[in-house]
Amino acid sequence: MRVHKERFSAPEYLLFTAVTFGIFCFCVCTGSVSIPLKDTLSLIRDAVCGVIGSWIDHTESVLPEGTTASILLAVRLPRVLCTALTGAALSLAGAAMQGLLKNPLADGSTLGVSSGAALGAVCAIAFGITFPALPFAGTMVTAVLFAFLSLLLILGLAYRLDHSLSTDTIILIGVVFSMFVSSLMSIVITFAADRVQHITFWTMGSLQGKGYPDVLVLLGALVFFGGVIFLHSRELNAFAMGEENAGHIGVNVRRVRLVLLIAVSGLIGVCVSVGGTIGFVGLVTPHMLRMLTGPNHRRLLPASLFGGACFLMLADLAARTLLNPRELNVGIVTSLAGAVVFILIFYRARRRG
Amino acid sequence: MKISVKRTRTLAALLAAAMLLAFTACGTENKETESSPITVTDMMGREITLEKPAERIVALTPSDCEILYAIGAGDALVGRGTYCDYPAEVADVPEVGSGSDTNIEQILALEPQVLLMSTMSQTEEQAKQLEDAGVRVVISDAQDIEGVYTAIEMIGALMGKDEEAAALVQSMKTAFAELEEKAEPDGSKTIYFEVSPLEYGLWAAGKNTFMDEVANMLGLKNCFDDLDGWASVSEEQVLERNPDYILTITMYYGEGPLPEEEIMARPGWENVTAVKNGAILNLQNNELSRPAPRLVDGARMLYDFVYGEE
Repeated sequence: MRVHKERFSAPEYLLFTAVTFGIFCFCVCTGSVSIPLKDTLSLIRDAVCGVIGSWIDHTESVLPEGTTASILLAVRLPRVLCTALTGAALSLAGAAMQGLLKNPLADGSTLGVSSGAALGAVCAIAFGITFPALPFAGTMVTAVLFAFLSLLLILGLAYRLDHSLSTDTIILIGVVFSMFVSSLMSIVITFAADRVQHITFWTMGSLQGKGYPDVLVLLGALVFFGGVIFLHSRELNAFAMGEENAGHIGVNVRRVRLVLLIAVSGLIGVCVSVGGTIGFVGLVTPHMLRMLTGPNHRRLLPASLFGGACFLMLADLAARTLLNPRELNVGIVTSLAGAVVFILIFYRARRRG
Repeated sequence: MKISVKRTRTLAALLAAAMLLAFTACGTENKETESSPITVTDMMGREITLEKPAERIVALTPSDCEILYAIGAGDALVGRGTYCDYPAEVADVPEVGSGSDTNIEQILALEPQVLLMSTMSQTEEQAKQLEDAGVRVVISDAQDIEGVYTAIEMIGALMGKDEEAAALVQSMKTAFAELEEKAEPDGSKTIYFEVSPLEYGLWAAGKNTFMDEVANMLGLKNCFDDLDGWASVSEEQVLERNPDYILTITMYYGEGPLPEEEIMARPGWENVTAVKNGAILNLQNNELSRPAPRLVDGARMLYDFVYGEE
């Protein structure tokens, strides 16, 4: 039995950051259009100098111009940033949900929370729910709300049917709920037949065309909701020993559960409304990392944050470049990689057990 | 007596009139049997024989509906697929679903002699089910403009409108030839056909599409002609290939920016020649994506857009 330390040390954090940053740089330097590394570096240097210069002089920022600059700075960089943040957020949400339900198979996609969030966004599109002050806020607010309602419904059912929350129950409820949501989605589409195309494309989701506003939104959600989850790592550890035991050592089970559910819904809802439903990220990364970090959430949560970012950045890199000049949907890549990895883990665990 | 004579005369006159009617009726009947039976080879190479031109027809693909109306056979259309939306009066025809949601029972209830469908959205099982129930299934499957002519002539033959169909094909050929003649390409201009906007992931029309065919006709180079059919493409590639013109077929739902404005506002696209020059055209009524007579309208609009209206 390996003994894990309570939390990561500073050098370990430094290593994670270095690896993630390395992958980030690699993803920014590689793409459908190949840009020489020298140009990439000089473009980024010029852009950074331009922005900093404008801060110092309080003038209009001077950014590099030209097609290469647009490709790198306006298309690729925000996309890679969005991908990293989405990956981190989904992975963190997955890890938190697994801790909360004491079940390694719990995830936004397996439980149907992502589908629920997508349904919310589709409703916003179909019935024209918008908030004029904020662009795309309509879909985002409804996505978060529906993600939360889905979680409440799923958990309510799960607790009622099987208080021990066994794997079978969780998976079954997830399957049933996903089917339920997909039929609701069909009904919504029937009522909004003129927007079928809009809705169908939307449910497929895409990380294409993401800009810096999306980066800020994702970053905000990750800092806020992610922060809430991090602050509850100790409680999550307590949940792992059973809710009753958690109560005995002074955890306010109901309140903590509600707070965590809201945080998880917030993360999933925002991610879905920005990039559509991307499956398996929240399932596979925490699962793989748990083998390295052990079950302690003080180690698992930060590891999931970095791991999720790396996993999704690499998956999106494959989606962007494998079939060049065509592009794959990133969800296809994560599901392919995720399913394979997942079965491998499952198989090994079964054999060992 | 006088009265009886009068009576006989009236009777004779009536008889004569009745016989005359009967003969004329016979005459028209004869004429009909003379012109039939009709044998049509559909676009899957199957031979379909009808005793007489179809009087009740169901068409599942939007393009076939358009062709029926264009050759003046719209009255015979008794059922239509879900997405048939042109011309406007097609909306009054009962809808029978399409694709996997095709309502076979409803089609049979309409008692059509012929059902027009394409291979793309319908299945062989559906075709077999309908054939077993006595409906003749005719496949129209135009892949290029030449194929559209074939489809028009085939549908014309089915409906007994051969002349109208031939005239329509001729007018399309003339119109295309005129446009091709008038176009004065310098051979260097490229066009990018956007089938799905950035928000949902870009899709472009590549080679072997109607858009590509029309672009070549007008002397434009499709900048994604290295891809086959419609394909999801990388945003970076569009910027790199730097098209001179952009044609988008995105639908506008009456809220938010227009599709052209949305493209103009995309970050990073400001260096694309088409965006710099505001050379973006939005054709949102499927003019260039359906194998139908309106391809001519689409080609005209693209011509006017590129070379200026006369």
